[in-house]
Amino acid sequence: MGLVYLIVFGFIVLSVIYGLIWLYSRSVRREKLEDEWREENPEGDPAAEDLFVEAGMKEYHASIRPKLILLVYVIPTALVIAALIVINWN
Amino acid sequence: MTYVKWTFRTVIFVVVFGFLHYLLPQHDIARINGTEIIRMDFSSFNRLFYAQSDSGNAENETRDVRLINTVKKKTMLLGFIRRDAEGVMVYRNEDTGWIWPPYFKFDSSDLQAEAADHTSTGADPQWVVITHYGWRNRFFTIYPNAIAIRPVDGPDARVIPWFNIFFFVFIGAAILFIRAMWRQFRERSVDPALDQVGDAWDSADERFDDTRGRFRKWLGSWKRKPRRY
Repeated sequence: MGLVYLIVFGFIVLSVIYGLIWLYSRSVRREKLEDEWREENPEGDPAAEDLFVEAGMKEYHASIRPKLILLVYVIPTALVIAALIVINWN
Repeated sequence: MTYVKWTFRTVIFVVVFGFLHYLLPQHDIARINGTEIIRMDFSSFNRLFYAQSDSGNAENETRDVRLINTVKKKTMLLGFIRRDAEGVMVYRNEDTGWIWPPYFKFDSSDLQAEAADHTSTGADPQWVVITHYGWRNRFFTIYPNAIAIRPVDGPDARVIPWFNIFFFVFIGAAILFIRAMWRQFRERSVDPALDQVGDAWDSADERFDDTRGRFRKWLGSWKRKPRRY
């Protein structure tokens, strides 16, 4: 029964953390793209900036970086398994 | 206001410190002089300081608890400073199971056998490092829970608290990360929204000021001031 609780609540907590990091990472990337555009085009028009940022975000979502956030699930699971082995190994 | 603030901070600090001091693993150097099993009739005072029955068993009002009797080397300042003095210490030996505290210990029977294996006398001591969490309190009859037993050569054996080192590094990194996230959220989401609200409020305020005059201004002085960071 304890294992079920652990899985259910662990999943909920880790999902909240995953969601927050996902939003944060996306926001940082968008800010970076905006800064990059403004540095190169100090008087650029907003429409072109939107296009540039959206293209950059598309590239970001296709890259491996957002998938790395899935480690939020992998690492705690690995730690729990490691703790199980270390503590109970005879 | 300063008193309230400092009282509040002190209470928070004591609670967090106590929580971590209870929960994080500590290492005692001791020699085991016996193991035993006693029946415990928990009360509402001390029930909180015991785990549950062995994994897979039913939970009853009373049950047997495994104890490990030792003589341990006393320490000061959270174990950082060792002393020559010795004193008796009794550990309980319970499964923590899957949930709380997260030690995932299921092998208390095996640990009891290990403890029995390393039993020694004061004349011919076999020193061990006992990893444990929890507190000993005579008034509530609570014991720290032994997690692991490792034989060592002598009472001066070096113990490096790896888990606690990594734990505090992780907590520090997590705090910095949460701070960065919060700042990003403010900068990108809260501040632009507040600017918009502020602009709307200012233009509405001007109109009110024109029509209602001083009473409105006095009411406005009760308005929440913009936060300073």
